[in-house]
Amino acid sequence: MAELRTQEQQLLSALESLGGTATVDQLIQACGIQDTAVMRTALTLQEKSFVAIHAKIQNVIKLTPEGEKYAKDGLPERNLILAVAELGGTADLQAAAKKANLAQEFIQIALGWTIRKKWATYTPQNNTLHITEELLHQTTLPEDCDENFLKHLNTKHQAAQEDLSSDLQKAVEQLKKRKLLTIEPKTTRTLQITAEGKKAAINGSANLALNETIKPIITQLKPQDIINGTWRDAELQKYNIQAPVIKTWGGKKHPYLQFLDEVRAKLVQLGFQEMTGTAVETSFFNFDALYVPQDHPAREASDIYYIKDPQCGDISQHAHALEHVKETHEHGGKTGSTGWGYKYSLEAAQRLLLRGHGTCLSARTLETGKFEVPSRHFSIARVYRPEITDKTHLSEFNQVEGIVIDENLNLRDLLGVLGKFAKEIAGADKIRFKPDYFPFTEPSVELSAYKEGYGWVEFGGSGIFRPEVMQPLGVKQPVIAWGLGVDRLFMMRAGIEDIRQIFSQDLGWLRKKQVT
Amino acid sequence: MPTIDVDYKELDHLLNVKLNGDMTKLDDILAYVKAEVKAFDEKEGSVSIEMKDTNRPDLWSIEGLSRALQGYLNHAKGIKQYSVGKSAVEVDVHANLWNIRPFICCAVIKDIHLSDSTIKGIMHLQDKLDQTNGRSRQKTSIGIYNLDLIKPPIEYTAVKPEDVKFVPLGFTEEMGLNEILMRHPKGVEYGHIVKKNPLYPMLFDSEGKVLSFPPIINSNDLGKITEESRNLLVEVTGTLHKTVLNTLNLVTLALIDRGGKAYSATINYPEKSDYPQKTVVTPDFSNRVVALSVEYTNRLLGLKLTSEKICELLLVAGLGVEKVSSDCVSVLVPCYRVDVMHQVDIVEDVAVAYGYNNIESTWRELPTTGRAKPDQRYIDVARELMVGLGYQETLNTTLTNPDVLFSKMNAPPTKFIELDNPKIVTMTCLRSWLLPSLMEFLACNASVEFPQKIFELGKVTLPDETRETQTRDEDWLAAATTHPNANFSEIKSALDSFMANFGVEWQIKETVHPSFIEGRVGKVIVGGVEVGFVGEVNPAVLEAWKLENPAAAFEINFRRLLEGKTLEKVIDKL
Repeated sequence: MAELRTQEQQLLSALESLGGTATVDQLIQACGIQDTAVMRTALTLQEKSFVAIHAKIQNVIKLTPEGEKYAKDGLPERNLILAVAELGGTADLQAAAKKANLAQEFIQIALGWTIRKKWATYTPQNNTLHITEELLHQTTLPEDCDENFLKHLNTKHQAAQEDLSSDLQKAVEQLKKRKLLTIEPKTTRTLQITAEGKKAAINGSANLALNETIKPIITQLKPQDIINGTWRDAELQKYNIQAPVIKTWGGKKHPYLQFLDEVRAKLVQLGFQEMTGTAVETSFFNFDALYVPQDHPAREASDIYYIKDPQCGDISQHAHALEHVKETHEHGGKTGSTGWGYKYSLEAAQRLLLRGHGTCLSARTLETGKFEVPSRHFSIARVYRPEITDKTHLSEFNQVEGIVIDENLNLRDLLGVLGKFAKEIAGADKIRFKPDYFPFTEPSVELSAYKEGYGWVEFGGSGIFRPEVMQPLGVKQPVIAWGLGVDRLFMMRAGIEDIRQIFSQDLGWLRKKQVT
Repeated sequence: MPTIDVDYKELDHLLNVKLNGDMTKLDDILAYVKAEVKAFDEKEGSVSIEMKDTNRPDLWSIEGLSRALQGYLNHAKGIKQYSVGKSAVEVDVHANLWNIRPFICCAVIKDIHLSDSTIKGIMHLQDKLDQTNGRSRQKTSIGIYNLDLIKPPIEYTAVKPEDVKFVPLGFTEEMGLNEILMRHPKGVEYGHIVKKNPLYPMLFDSEGKVLSFPPIINSNDLGKITEESRNLLVEVTGTLHKTVLNTLNLVTLALIDRGGKAYSATINYPEKSDYPQKTVVTPDFSNRVVALSVEYTNRLLGLKLTSEKICELLLVAGLGVEKVSSDCVSVLVPCYRVDVMHQVDIVEDVAVAYGYNNIESTWRELPTTGRAKPDQRYIDVARELMVGLGYQETLNTTLTNPDVLFSKMNAPPTKFIELDNPKIVTMTCLRSWLLPSLMEFLACNASVEFPQKIFELGKVTLPDETRETQTRDEDWLAAATTHPNANFSEIKSALDSFMANFGVEWQIKETVHPSFIEGRVGKVIVGGVEVGFVGEVNPAVLEAWKLENPAAAFEINFRRLLEGKTLEKVIDKL
């Protein structure tokens, strides 16, 4: 026969004394063991086939605070009609409400129900209530099911929906609509003793009576148990180590930011220094300095965000570059280009916007003239485009871009830079180049990287800055400009297909996302 | 980026490469002209092609694409020859257009046989040119007419809106010009272009019949093209002569490619006027000559090409050669290659014809030192500390709206940066503090297990008149905790631990902040400077976000924290 512990014996005896069947609540009262302990012990007893546990789900009806008030003081419509009766059977609504002590917000509710229950008629023209003929002849106001049920709940505090008659069910529905009561499912667990359990209870009682061979049981080990050494004479209860436990959610870095950290570290390792700037930028650096003409479609309100107030930035400290950019746009200036052939507007150059790419940071670096030759630069910049966000578009995202400056850089070096990125950052197995277009570079190259298991992915774009960009900024050396499609790379790695997940507000996803 | 829809069968026929529906193969071919397949509808037999190059309008028709690819596909080398005859059609331009829409170019097309699909193709090209190159008809707009119904010479003039009535394309009744701007869909769409001036541009023939009301709409009588139309008049009006002429050239070339014969028209500009030229004959298919330096080409590409090899590659790229010497090539650039502005554009064509993948790449070892931005090290340390305290890092958008920033935070609005042209109501401005982002995040996670502890170290944008961009961006740090027992002590304890580990001594000073419970919020002071606040979130804020658990949070200006007096100490400790 299976051995019983103190709590198990206590519970079994209590169950037996309660007639062999009892709810968990009854048992807690009967044997004074704590709530969780009763359930745990009951489970152990069930494993030993001494008890059977039956779970029953009931819809428990309880009063809301408003419902409790009405159960005590009567429904507002009753109070209203009683007031009308006292005022002679016909009364002004406000006067009756005042007499019935109704708060302003309940008058309409009370009026509505008075009419619905056919207790009174209402004349809106003079705001008057008349008690109905039928009711006038009665000595007392009849009590409907809803009122009866409220009274019932007022004394019993709760009821199970399943136990109610169909009339009462209807009343419950009505009262629930009035938000006077709540219905919530509740599981009641009943323990039933088995034949084997009965035997054990009897034997157990005998053992309990002897009370000598049983050691005290320690569930949670406490400091005093250790300090006093009482643990030596106690039995340390065995736990069900298979039982599920509460989840622990620690903190973690954001997976996308962690990925950007890695990209940053790789670039630093490759000799690039980081450039920074503000989200708000002038059209001059976002477009003009990059040889994007002032009437280019990319500058339309549908393609770039503009700032409402103030509208213009201060580009006076770039007067020199501005002058050269202007003449280059208009007729090519000293660059040997035809230029765009239009009238350049200083106002358009000052217009403030949210940067649409990180290349404005490269333009700024070049414009300062304070760079070393050779040098390598990069930026991780938040950029903005007026897109409707969907699976593949964000109106706000990050771009990783940069430049390489050195004497005599050429297309072969450019391909070399892209190749290096493909290997170091994307871990590509193979790469491929295609002609590409950017208004500010020529020649321009698109990089596709092949990774086993992922296939070909467009991973970056690059080019050598046009003379129309370099000359006005006063740069003598060739400059390679590059940008990397890091979002795509992150999505591949993180196994996500929806770009919106980068800015996910789903804490559950962040918690469960594996650290890679 | 412009996208064109073309008929698959026609494309296959014109490219003559036996595609067999292989879009990868087509992609490889289109790569020569920086285009790619966006979609292929096998049922409809149509292909959507996206052009990366916004400056190559010559590619925006199926004829133009095959013209540009013929050299790469080894069908024909050099410039495709087009001829234009002379016609007696003249256009008289009035001086009153000078400040309105001064330029016009015309061409005559004869003996063309149009099918339904060619008309569609031409309309498609016309629309692309109007939209992209013509900047939504502002800069240029195209009109095509049935020449047989027109009695030249043609008059291009500007009129008072109330003086003219005609039946616009797609309508049956006569309408005044202002009525067209109000009622005709094209009038509604493009009316703003002409409304700037008291007089509106008009095209009439010699009998006073209306050709069109440029750039709005053609006449329904003369300006309707059908499969029966044999002889056409093509006209482009606009604000910049070069672009107007280029556009006319492109449309005319496409019609020649469709079997039409082109004839010129003479444009007579008024004698006493600001117009630089008095008589112009259009279209003009003459080539430009651009000098290409062999040394420059090789320096830019890192190759050692001879001038002969360069010439060979130029012909593949569809360019011509006028003269060659060992150090210079005189390159002939056809009229439709408007993208060539500098010899560098020709160098790229040489590289594309040579093949990017045939060029050996080099990684140049350069003595450069890599460096992350100065604050990055502290940013990383701060994030690690927050993670160690059990806070989950979040990443939120900086675009938000005033409701999130102020109303829902129970806070009075402070200055913030608003967008002039927001696209969606939830993103109308840049955030000026971080806590609203965190509250919004928590509001999305009401059914996720508690406790919830989150933080963000990210950018806020603040107005700053002393800066060039009238704004400054700063890194701030905010953290929030929410669960049934969250309170002030918990967040203060977390902040205290953060500060101690970060090596910053801080004080707390009583304050009032409407987002927090009065008496449970304090200013965070470092080195005598206020750097942020810490407190228990006001239930009014929780209610606004529909949060049911108490929450506590802190927000500090990370930049100012670093600038704090203890900065030196921080460096020593790290």
